[in-house]
Parts: sequence; structure tokens; C-alpha cells
Amino acid sequence: MKVQFKNKLEERLVKTTLKIQHLLIYRIIQRTLLLIFPFALFGSFIKIIQTVVIGREGFLTDIFPNLNNDFVYRQIDNITNGLYNMSLGWVSVIAIFGAAKYTAKYYNRDDQIAGLVGISSYLIADYSYSKVQPISFHPGMLGMRGLLFAIVLGMFIGWLFKKFSRPAPKLQSNQVPTSVLERAFISWKPLILSLIIAMIFSTFINVTYYSEAPGNFINSLATEYTSHNDWTQLLKTLLFSLYTIIMSFLGWSGTYSALGVEKMDVLSTVNLNYALEKHTAWNAPNPFTSASLYHGFATYGGTGCVLGLIIAILIVARDKDFQTVARWAMVPSIFNISSGVMTGIPVLFNVIFLIPFILAPLANMLMAALAITLHLMPPSVYPVPIGTPGPLIAFIATNGSWQALGFSVLAIVISTCIYIPFVKMAVKVKILDNLGLEEGEA
Amino acid sequence: MRTRNLRKNKNFKYLVAIAIILVLLGIPSYIWTKRNVTTLAGRYNSPMSPVILIPGSSASANRFDDLVKTVNRTYGEHHSLLKMTVHTNNKITYSGRIRSNDERPFIVVGFENNKDGYSNIKKQAAWFNIAFNQLKKRYRFNNFNAFGHSNGGLIWTLFFEKYFDDSTITVNQMLTVGTPYNFEEKNTSNRTQMLNDLVKSRDKIPEDLTYYSIAGTKLYTDDGIVPLGSVDAGKYVYEGHIKHYTLITLTGSKAQHSDMIDSNQFITIFHQYIVGNGINNPGRNKPNKKVPKPQQ
Repeated sequence: MKVQFKNKLEERLVKTTLKIQHLLIYRIIQRTLLLIFPFALFGSFIKIIQTVVIGREGFLTDIFPNLNNDFVYRQIDNITNGLYNMSLGWVSVIAIFGAAKYTAKYYNRDDQIAGLVGISSYLIADYSYSKVQPISFHPGMLGMRGLLFAIVLGMFIGWLFKKFSRPAPKLQSNQVPTSVLERAFISWKPLILSLIIAMIFSTFINVTYYSEAPGNFINSLATEYTSHNDWTQLLKTLLFSLYTIIMSFLGWSGTYSALGVEKMDVLSTVNLNYALEKHTAWNAPNPFTSASLYHGFATYGGTGCVLGLIIAILIVARDKDFQTVARWAMVPSIFNISSGVMTGIPVLFNVIFLIPFILAPLANMLMAALAITLHLMPPSVYPVPIGTPGPLIAFIATNGSWQALGFSVLAIVISTCIYIPFVKMAVKVKILDNLGLEEGEA
Repeated sequence: MRTRNLRKNKNFKYLVAIAIILVLLGIPSYIWTKRNVTTLAGRYNSPMSPVILIPGSSASANRFDDLVKTVNRTYGEHHSLLKMTVHTNNKITYSGRIRSNDERPFIVVGFENNKDGYSNIKKQAAWFNIAFNQLKKRYRFNNFNAFGHSNGGLIWTLFFEKYFDDSTITVNQMLTVGTPYNFEEKNTSNRTQMLNDLVKSRDKIPEDLTYYSIAGTKLYTDDGIVPLGSVDAGKYVYEGHIKHYTLITLTGSKAQHSDMIDSNQFITIFHQYIVGNGINNPGRNKPNKKVPKPQQ
């Protein structure tokens, strides 16, 4: 199949991406992400039930008459908790298994042991010294938040296997047990080394986790720092959104969460108090808060406006894989749960999608800021239940302003348009990549 | 041309599905928003449920620093601490702060005028109301737990009777230590003016409150300062009106009036009833919603 480029810029971008994709690190990341995709997708469906349907203060529990705290409710709660925690809730553990295994395999070392050592190391690093329960882990790090750390640590462990053990002899089915034992001892050194390093991480993590130092600093800046100048406010919201988006791109998490409420910052509280007094959201004193710009217009489908990506794929991508992922991830995405798309396409660490991933939310926020400045729509001031579909957030948060709904639809269109050229490029990259693989390049 | 292309696209039905789902969710949410904003008047669904502490007379807002430290250390938890002092001119000064993702922060409200006596306690209740309204406005929580040491418990009781509006905010549990409902009076048949007043307006106290009152005794009769009978007199205010009223008697070492909050027994009770950790206290996670009385 021949690939044609529309212009030089596109060609250069596609070529660069291809080059990056051929890097060993990237190959490993990609395979690891594909490994966790089914878990992430399954988990994201469970997450819908968990937060949206039965969650405390969830969207549907708020909007429809309450499901009471009875036996059935409890059982559903327990079941979904178990399913979620062991699917999307521990993708980082799966990721480190994949990363360590693939790295070791590339260097012809014992990949199975490397993967398992990876799991142990990660769980040691994540071990929480709890006084309440005998065995417990920091739950945040087991999920998507720990992904970057897991992949890096996994590759490092794979590299340790390369450095400190020799190639594992191929296991034949008729081999005598002694050589199996020998095989076990080959990986002895990197195993001990990995676990000790994990223990050092563990101590470090437990200390910082409790002080929650870095995240705390940023969070307090985001919620406590206030300015009465509208433009500094706008700048601040844009900056923190950018930080959140970039962090999410790396599988980390930023200041603003796509799902759930963080505590309201001072400015939003002032807005809400104003709105409750005046019974209107118009002319609220702080027009450019995170609620009115980021949450209202930049999180459709989760961080980075991935709903736009999904729609773009459904419209233009001829690629089967992309389409399948998009169809499956569509429903969770409506409720702002994006882990399916992030790992399935994958968007995470994917150079080509970095640009629209940042651009689409920023464009939407600027559009919203402009509309608010021109008094075409009121800023979002009212609280919104957790898991409210992205395009409805602004509508609900303005107490049902039709203008806000109109701009929300416009925001979807904008983000879809921004994603379309990049989806086309991604398809080309994929075709070229597959060609390369067939020719035995990589 | 473009739309026709789109229609031919076999993914068209998925796009339509997205639109339909959004519309289907949009209609009830529109109705909900309208209802929510007009009737619930801004009950914010904050995940935060603070523990609000009031120290006894002649103690400052720093009174519970050690308590918070001990609780954090003993249970491996990380509650942040905000201290407020209300001055006699109604101004409030702050120290410490609430960590942004802390769901159970500790908030201590102290007073510049922290003297004993009924008239002072009445003033302190009014000052506390100012602080409480500030907190409510700033953090928009919809439920909290109350703790009062000594006269702090009296301030809470007065606050509930005179100022508290339970249509927008819920008090879950209250714990007090050595609260002298009848001042220094041992015999409950000699009611002080304050006790009479408190009993008289007890109807205003929120009925779904669960209250644990701790009395310390050293020599069967008092904790060195407050007589057992005076703490026990709290039953005339609470018993039969609120959901649960429990009196706990604490003896042994550190059962003295001011030492009690350092005792291990107390820390255990405090943590179990007031702090909770989601394991002892599963009910805490259920949606806590109340439809307010229609506004006149």
C-alpha cells in the first residue's frame, strides 16, 4: 500500500513519529500498553457503574431517585469494587510485568522471571506501612497514576537482567530438572538487586506519600492562590490545565481531575455564593475559574478531550483496530472515563497525539473564555455531580443555560476538527510501521 | 456532499448513539439542575467532612495540637489542622491550613476571650457561630463531627440551640469530655440557670445527632474539677431528644479533667467515634442528603 502525504509538515511529523516508534523504549511501551488495554477497558465499564450509577454523589444517583443503602446496593458496591480494583485498579502491576518481560526478552534473558520480579518489586515499592491492615498498598499508585513509574521501573529491571545475568538457555520439553534449576540461578543476582532497589523506593515513597509533598504543593497553589485580576485568573487556569493535560499524557495525574470533584477553590466558592444570592450565574465575580473553563469545556471524554478523538476516528479512520477501540471506549468516554482510549489507541506516550491532546482542550478553553468575556454565556458556577457527561457539565453548572449547551456542542466540533488531521496521520504511521515490520526492519 | 459521505459511513450509527445517549441523559439532568438549584440552595456535594473542635475555657486554639499529632501517629493517618481564633471584635485569625485533598481535616475554633462563666459562654457561642458560617461558606461541606472539651461542649450545645440550621448541614456525631452542664454543682436537683435554659430550648438540637459524653472520675465523684453529676446532667438536655445519647465514665491514670485528652482510652474513643476510618464506620459513605424544609 502506498502512503501519500498532503504536505511537507505532515510528512515530517509522520516520519519523526515513525523514527520514535522504532526506538526500543517506545516498542516496549507500546506492547505494554496493549497488554493492559483489555483490563483498562473492562475496568472503565465497571468504573461507570461505580461512580456514575451507585457512587456517593454520583451523576445518576443524584438525578434519579436514590438507590437506598440496602442489601442489593451494598452487594453491587462490593462486587464492582472487587472487579474494578483488580482490573483498572492495578494496571500498573500488569504494566511493570509487561515492561520487564519485554525488555528482558529483547536481550534474550529469562523474561518470565523478569516479569515476575517486576511485579514483586512494584508491590514492594507500593507497600504501605499501615497500622490498620496487615497487607496494604497505596491504591493510587496501582492504577493509571503509577503507569509511568511502572513502565520505567519495569524497563530498568529488564536492563538489570541484561547487565547481571547471562542469556537463559532455551527450555526444551525433554530437558532434565537440573538445567531448570540452573536456569533459576542464572537470574539470581538481578532478582535480589531489583527487590533491594524496590525496597529503597518503598521507603522513599512512604515518606513522600505521607507528606504528599509535590502534589500538595501544586494543589495548594491551584486552590489557595487567588487573584482578582481576570486575566491572571485566566492564565492560571490555562497553566494548571496544561500541567494536568501533560501529566495525564504521561499516565500521571495533574491538579484537575476529569472525574470527581476536587475541593472547590476559593474563587469558585465566591462564584457559587454569588450565584446563590442573586439566583443567576451571569456576571459571577470570577469568570475564569477551573470550573468554568477546564471542567466545563476541556474534559469531554476525559482529559485531553478524547471524545473528540473518538468521534474523529469514527468519522475518518479507515483502520480496523482504531475503529474497534473507539467503538468500545465510546460509552465510558461519555462519562469522562478515558482509560480505554488512552491505552488502546494508544494515546499515552504517543507523539502524534500529543499535539491535539494539548491543543484541543486549550482551544476549547479559549473559546469558552471568549464567550464568557463577550457575555454570550454565563460561567459555570454550580456544583456538578461526579461523572456528569462532559458535554453536559457546563449546561448543568450554569443551571441549564442553553447558550452554555450550544457552546458545549461547538466545543465537541472544535475538538473533533482538531483531532481529524492527526487521526489521519496516525493511520499513515500505522500503515508505514506495519510495512516496516513486514520487511523485517525492526 | 459531506453529510452524504457521513451517512454512508458505517460508523454513523455510533455517532448517532453518542448523540442519543447525551440527549437522554441531558433531559433528566436539566430537570434535576432546576430542582437542585432552587430547593437545595447550594448544598455542595463536597467530599469533605471535618471534625470541628472547641477547647475549654482558658485554652487557646492550640489546645489540640498534641491530640491531632497523636491521632495521626497512632493510626497512621494524615489529618490536617486548621486553627481559628475569634477575637472579641468578631475578627477571625487563622493558622495552619487544610490540605486540599483531606476529607477529614481537624478544625479548632478558639476564642480570644476564653473565660469561664455563663455570660462568657453565651458570647463564645455567638463567636463560634461567626466562625462556623465562615467555614461553611469557604469549604461548603455538608456534614461534620463535633468535639468539645469541657466548656467547649457547652458552646456546642448553645450553638445547636440558638444558631444552628440543620436544613443545610448535618452534624453526625458529637463527643465531649468533662462538659459541666450544671457547672460545679454535684447534685442534679440543684439546677443552675444555664442548665434550665439549655433544657428549655433543647427542641432545637438536631434530632439525628449521636452524642457521646465522657466523664472522668478520680475519686468516684469528680475529675478534679468537674463533678460527675454535672456531666451527667447533660442527659436532661439530650436524652430522649436526640438519636443516641451515651455517657462514658473514664477512670484510672490521666482521668483528671485536663489530662483526659492525653489518655490512651480517650484517644481510642475519640478515633472510633469521631474520626473513624471507613472500616469501623461504613455508614459514613452513604449519601447524606436531606430535603430541607420549604423556605418561608
